[in-house]
Amino acid sequence: MTLQTKFAGIALLLALSLTVLGRDADAQVLNSGAQTITLQAVLTDSISVSLSSSAVNFNLTAGSASNPGSTGVTATTSWLLKPSAGTVTLYAFFSSSAAALTDGAGNNIPSADFQISDNAGPFTALTTTVPFGGASAGLTLSSTRILGNNRSSSHTDVLNFNINLSTLPNMPAGTFIGTLTIQAQAI
Amino acid sequence: MKTGKLLRIGAIALGLALATTMASAQAINSGAQTIALNATLAESLTLSLSANSVNFTLAAGSAANAGSTNITATTSWVLKPGRTAVGVYAYFANAASALTDGAGDNIPSSAFFIADNAGPSTALTSTVAFGAANGGMQLANVAINGANKNSSRTDVMAFNINLTGGALPQLPAATYTGTLNIQAQATP
Repeated sequence: MTLQTKFAGIALLLALSLTVLGRDADAQVLNSGAQTITLQAVLTDSISVSLSSSAVNFNLTAGSASNPGSTGVTATTSWLLKPSAGTVTLYAFFSSSAAALTDGAGNNIPSADFQISDNAGPFTALTTTVPFGGASAGLTLSSTRILGNNRSSSHTDVLNFNINLSTLPNMPAGTFIGTLTIQAQAI
Repeated sequence: MKTGKLLRIGAIALGLALATTMASAQAINSGAQTIALNATLAESLTLSLSANSVNFTLAAGSAANAGSTNITATTSWVLKPGRTAVGVYAYFANAASALTDGAGDNIPSSAFFIADNAGPSTALTSTVAFGAANGGMQLANVAINGANKNSSRTDVMAFNINLTGGALPQLPAATYTGTLNIQAQATP
């Protein structure tokens, strides 16, 4: 091999190396600066009550302790609460304890003679002061403790009604109307 | 100086803790759902009798022919406001023939007497709310007020047939039958 041939080989190797190096330089990625998007998702706390029916009729018998309502009403309480909520309570109440139902002529059926049985429990008169309604005109239907696994949940209360006229022996004949309110509170 | 700074930091931390607690204690209420209640106490007026038949063993021309038994009428009512009275009445459909033998011989209502609750014996000669003219009597009149719109009363009736008047002493032997009605009325 002549010296001339050796130089020619070296020159060829150098040229090849430079070509490869140049190609590697061309393959390097080019990144932009990172731009951020702030995300905010709000899951609002909520509580609602729905009723299966909004009217109950009573055929009264004078002096009778047992005057059941024409139908039961199911109250479904649904909630989605913050971690700080501890209890969900459902209440039934009248705006006035003295005149839960009235004939409009001064003859009234007080809340003390209006009774509710919740989920087949005992009939209980509305004589308690609750967060809503008139003094001594309410009843706590149910109280649900909120734990980690029921912050989003629901509860049903099947309400049956009765009017006790045994304490109203002089109630005259008439049509007595009233409004019972069902409301829930989370605290 | 350092102690004062620490106290200020502590006070701020306590304030924040209290604020957080107060925020946590805020109640959240559902909407109020209402149930319309409609209770009807129907107006009623009823009258019941302790018995439905009375027999008389008549003595010709006698003023005293007592019935075989007394009858108690129990009147019960549940009334609307505005009613002011409940009257209880006894009456025949025909004053001339309260009882008859069916052969033209009659005992008029004027010869038929009722003593109510041991009161005086009174002939049925008044025109009352029911029955024939001059064929009845009012047994009771109860004033209705706030205390007795839902109430009752009893009338114990003792009966007598007086065969002394007019042509009755000549009443022929026979079986005389009739129907006495007892009825109550609430007014107005």
